[in-house]
Amino acid sequence: MTDELGALTVIFTEFYYWMTVVLMFLIHVGFCMYEVGASRYKNHQHTLMKNTILIPLVTITFFFFGWWIYWAFPTGPGIAPSIMTESTGLVLGGGFGANELANPMSPIMAIGLNDHINGVFWAAFLLFSWTAASIVSGALIERITTFAFGILAIAIGSVFWTIDASWGWHFDGWMLKLLGYHDAYASGVIHACAGGFALGVLAVLGPRIGKFSSSGEPRNIGPRNPWLVCIGLFLIYTGFWGFYAACNIPIFNLGPEYGLGDGVNFWTATNIYVTPTTLSGITFNFLMSLSGGLLAAYWISKGDPFWTYSGGLAGIITASAGNDLYHPIQAMIIAGVGTIIAYKLHYWVERKFKIDDAVGAVAVHGYAGVVGLIICGFVLWGYPSSGYDGLGYAPINPVGMIIGAFIMFVVLGFVPGYVLAKILHAAGKLRIPREVELAGLDYNIMESAKKDEKAVASSNR
Amino acid sequence: MATLTSWVEHLTTDVDSATEGMQVAGEIYPMVGTEGWLLLIGVIAWLAFHVATGNGEAEEHKKLARKAPGPNAHKNNITEW
Repeated sequence: MTDELGALTVIFTEFYYWMTVVLMFLIHVGFCMYEVGASRYKNHQHTLMKNTILIPLVTITFFFFGWWIYWAFPTGPGIAPSIMTESTGLVLGGGFGANELANPMSPIMAIGLNDHINGVFWAAFLLFSWTAASIVSGALIERITTFAFGILAIAIGSVFWTIDASWGWHFDGWMLKLLGYHDAYASGVIHACAGGFALGVLAVLGPRIGKFSSSGEPRNIGPRNPWLVCIGLFLIYTGFWGFYAACNIPIFNLGPEYGLGDGVNFWTATNIYVTPTTLSGITFNFLMSLSGGLLAAYWISKGDPFWTYSGGLAGIITASAGNDLYHPIQAMIIAGVGTIIAYKLHYWVERKFKIDDAVGAVAVHGYAGVVGLIICGFVLWGYPSSGYDGLGYAPINPVGMIIGAFIMFVVLGFVPGYVLAKILHAAGKLRIPREVELAGLDYNIMESAKKDEKAVASSNR
Repeated sequence: MATLTSWVEHLTTDVDSATEGMQVAGEIYPMVGTEGWLLLIGVIAWLAFHVATGNGEAEEHKKLARKAPGPNAHKNNITEW
């Protein structure tokens, strides 16, 4: 970096992504509070540790192979040709697998003076990975082993969501080219996929003891601390600001990139597909979709705090696929519709299939994400899915978005979750023993603490 | 061991090049060239963690299952500090 303006642009981008990572950390703080608040007293510490341990597990595996998967498979492989060719000037370089950019053995995956972006961009994606794993975590509380959850967290956080991001959340992704898939703020690639994965695991894991009566009627378990749950969700909202910003490229010159003409410059923020948007515009839509979700959930749940807060999240998630292009009032309406459908589906699935989703994660993330993708296909019908549309990209359309939703929720979500849970179940590693579930995962810790308390109290000095 | 011993030298690589200043030697961490071995060590440590903690957890569950306290037994162990 030898000229000041170029250096400022690079370092601004570096700092921008770094800030999004710090903000997104709050999503995880929120998830931890939320899960502990939803769990019973006798499970608090293990619930917290289960969610906490996904941070290092997903981080190291995302370094080892998750980031590489994202850059390696936009073409499928073999489903659609890449536009990253010599003629478009988009070649990333050869090397390990499909590219050198995310090769864990490459010097670019370490501190170096020639690169200011790879680490912070990697970290932004990593925080999405934590979110995907955390979505699954909440649904499974109080009966899954930490060992099994660790494996499942790595699978969703460093493998399956990364594959879907490569396919549908990459400017060279085959789903854009063939299906006209559009998912600017990850209704599908994070939320539908993680929600589907959680449902697949839940189908094998089974409900908590006592969740259903002998006649199959569901019972409400908790939350033990609704205020901790609500503050946790508030923190998730806060982190979501960072999530939205992290989905953008903050400054990019689309003039030469799109071939707008000699000397034509157009500096703008773009979304992950390198199509133009503004941070200002998506701020309208973030807040309006949050509000649409909150209003709808307050109404449909008759003011239940747990569902009202969850509805705010479901609202944002529903509108996220098209929140780079919607009008704010469209975003609000779409959010409200998605929230109501997610709420209704949660209770229908619970009764019909005896699924015990302890925190409503499948509904808030999975169903809302799927609904958001489908609505996006209709509302944005005909929009280009890419700025590189001259290179053979399909426009956004309902059929492509429905197929895309199926890929996200079922193919890369439900099926891998179900299969992996079956394998872990067959190995006897999935669920804690019945006696432990009844006693509570923290029983030994609590017993030991009580002994310490008595010993201290009886001490003479 | 040290990848660089002088910042001035490190930042003025390719002084005769047309792209002088653009081509500083990037890597500054120790033992450049051992990235493959470092990856191998990292993967082994990761897998070892699963084995060690998975076995520990299973053992802890077995012990507690044998003791089989009731669903309300934990209430006797709630501390007041």
